[in-house]
Amino acid sequence: MNDTTPTTAMTGKPVYFEDFEIGQTREFGAYPVTEEEVVAFGRQFDPQPFHIHKEAAAGTMFGGLIASGWHTCGMMMRMVCDDGLPRTAVLASPGFENLKWLRPVRPGDVLSVRSVVAEKIESKSKPDRGIIKIANTVLNQAGETVMTITNIAFYRRRPTDADG
Amino acid sequence: MKYFEDIKAGDVAELPARHVSEADIIDFATKYDPQTFHTDPEAAKQTAFGGLAASGWHTNALLISMLVERFRTEAIAATGSPGVESCRWLIPVRPGDTLTGQQEVLETWPSKSKPIGFVRSRTDLRNQHGEIVMTTVGLGMVARRPEAAA
Repeated sequence: MNDTTPTTAMTGKPVYFEDFEIGQTREFGAYPVTEEEVVAFGRQFDPQPFHIHKEAAAGTMFGGLIASGWHTCGMMMRMVCDDGLPRTAVLASPGFENLKWLRPVRPGDVLSVRSVVAEKIESKSKPDRGIIKIANTVLNQAGETVMTITNIAFYRRRPTDADG
Repeated sequence: MKYFEDIKAGDVAELPARHVSEADIIDFATKYDPQTFHTDPEAAKQTAFGGLAASGWHTNALLISMLVERFRTEAIAATGSPGVESCRWLIPVRPGDTLTGQQEVLETWPSKSKPIGFVRSRTDLRNQHGEIVMTTVGLGMVARRPEAAA
């Protein structure tokens, strides 16, 4: 797999809208999922039995403790940030599309992310920015897809006086 | 207990409120979305947000906590969610905001293979000024009434 999505870590330069190309792919992250963190997130935000009680979870359709899907989103976002997103010319995100939780995430799993640049849209109303859509796949240590999502973000365009 | 059979398209529910503090925003973002506009009140002023704003993932985490509370208070036999088809973060969630939610059922259909049904809903979260901060359309799963599933 070629890691071709530009990041400052790789190029030492800011990443602008112009630096993305459809199909650019990148794999990154190794997030260890712990029972302690699954239960802590579940207790704070998503206190359903299969996210917080080991014994009660065993009797549910999931057959054991699983991470909240929103915890999986958080772990994905942490990996995206650690991969260098905050050092790019990202402005904000207007949202996401097509979030699917396909397989349970369990304590002991190690998650990673595969990102593919899916779409580039120039903003008509704000010429200083463009929209990038990135199809993210969250994988477990067995290479199984646990979650897919299309993330959307506004990136600044390269200033005309910027040299590459 | 409320089962899949008790839920109909057009049903509208109010969701319980959630207050968001600066400490909550920073704590969530430090763990899961460490970008300046979510973690550093001073530096956030220089960003597109013009000040500290909650991570959109934090807003979704607050929404699920509202939904789980509702499942409990109304005894809804919810069994999880296969996903969310769209989510839009429309305006920033700020320290001190109080969020409330309204959820409308768009359609329902039974699973062909499991004793559950799917409920597709749109949910709007509003701040204390009545502004919609997030709108989302997603799927929930609810157990079928035991005798109907037999």
